[in-house]
Amino acid sequence: MDNQKILVVDDEPDMRIFVSTVVETMGFVSITAENGTKALEKARAAVPVLVILDVMMPKIEDGIWAYQQFKTDEKLAHIPIIMLSAIARKTFFHYIRMLSPQKGPHVPEPEAYMEKPPDAAELIKMIENLLANKT
Amino acid sequence: MAKTILLVDDEEGIRKVLGISLEDAGYVVHVAASGEEALRIFSKEHPAIVLTDVKMPGMDGIELLQKIKQERPDTEVIMITGHGDMDLAIKSLKYEAVDFITKPINDDALEIALNRARERITVRRQLREYTNNLEQLVHDKTKELIEAEKLAAVGQTVAGLSHAIKNIAGGLKGGTFVLEKGLDLDNRKYLMQGWEMVKGNVDKITNLSLDLLNYAKATDINYQLSEPNRQVHEIVSLMKHRAEEHGIDLKIDLAPDLKAFYFDPELIHGCLLNLVSNAIDACMEDDLESKAKEVLIKTVKAKGWGVEYQVIDNGCGMDEEVKEKVFQGFYSTKGTKGTGIGLMITKKNVDGHKGIIEVESEKGAGAKFIMRLPEGPDRIPDEI
Repeated sequence: MDNQKILVVDDEPDMRIFVSTVVETMGFVSITAENGTKALEKARAAVPVLVILDVMMPKIEDGIWAYQQFKTDEKLAHIPIIMLSAIARKTFFHYIRMLSPQKGPHVPEPEAYMEKPPDAAELIKMIENLLANKT
Repeated sequence: MAKTILLVDDEEGIRKVLGISLEDAGYVVHVAASGEEALRIFSKEHPAIVLTDVKMPGMDGIELLQKIKQERPDTEVIMITGHGDMDLAIKSLKYEAVDFITKPINDDALEIALNRARERITVRRQLREYTNNLEQLVHDKTKELIEAEKLAAVGQTVAGLSHAIKNIAGGLKGGTFVLEKGLDLDNRKYLMQGWEMVKGNVDKITNLSLDLLNYAKATDINYQLSEPNRQVHEIVSLMKHRAEEHGIDLKIDLAPDLKAFYFDPELIHGCLLNLVSNAIDACMEDDLESKAKEVLIKTVKAKGWGVEYQVIDNGCGMDEEVKEKVFQGFYSTKGTKGTGIGLMITKKNVDGHKGIIEVESEKGAGAKFIMRLPEGPDRIPDEI
């Protein structure tokens, strides 16, 4: 598990620090980005095993855009994504479904979804599960 | 009530005969021999039905009819006419008599006329009850609606608040997690970061509670004769440091010809502080790091106003959607950093002064907030 990278994308510094600390103390290397564009750049440069993505950066369109980019990029599409969001899970999934027919290719639902504020123990379990399934 | 009747006729014989048959029909009968006497009894007894002869010496039946309808329009009046008095009969109907019967009086005709009168009384009473009920219904429903609206407003407020508090709680929880990891692993970086997060969120909740307290306080405007430009100097000395820290040029451009006038310097200080700190936030939000960022505070002598303050920034600006909602409570574009209370309070205080606050802005092209305060009275309004 050494040197495996997890990309943390959030426009709030507090949230980046918190999530980074969670993944670092689990033994991963955290890479952070404060917006979607930077997140894609960093993901292409150093392919992470997991992305933890904030949906509102600061608007839902920004987070969704980043998510679509990840899921439609050949090299990045396989990376599991945990969506972190202040909006309720139901609302978000509805939004994704409504969006897909309008905006280009069908986008799969994210591998995992967590409402903000994230609970450290829950987040750790989620990361462990996602990465255990991969290997 | 419908069973009380006043019988008016100058002929004693008719009063007697008719009186008896009316009593037999179950009426409480009052009798009068003239129009004048009839009016006196009428005022005292308020009979529901009046049965009167048309032709009487002194006040005749038509005049009595008019006076009765004037005094109590709901009274039903039946006229007794002679055979040849068709004109009078028609005239009495015009003055809203319910019916007329001709002499000699036929019992069936009398009964029909009386029934007609009673029916009208019943219908009128039902109609009135119905109307009253309607009014009551409208009244009740309006009250319910207002309550519902109040509740909705409270609900919105609570939802907005709980969101703001949830964000802060999230920050505190995250901070304590990072802090704990720092302690567990003896990691100085985590310790520092966690501590900063906790401090930052404690500040946020302190500000939130202060904002709420300010908002909840009834805005008693404490008018004082004040120099509008002095407010600007105060704000600059307060905010200069923060602006410099973020590489923002805080400039002023003050109209020299502004006179002191009555406003609440403390409240307006708060409003300006809010606008300027928003402008600084907007500059920091801007992605273009190369652009020279500035915030300009202007005072202008606007015609008909005591002062026009302008706070202009070249920061991130806002689109139409944001512009529409910017004065709404608990609306914020600043993520967890904003509570959406600042501009709401500013607007409340400007409104309190009967002033105007407006915004001009385009996405990416900065924003201009304009706040005008009326010159107001020459003296403190309370003394007028």
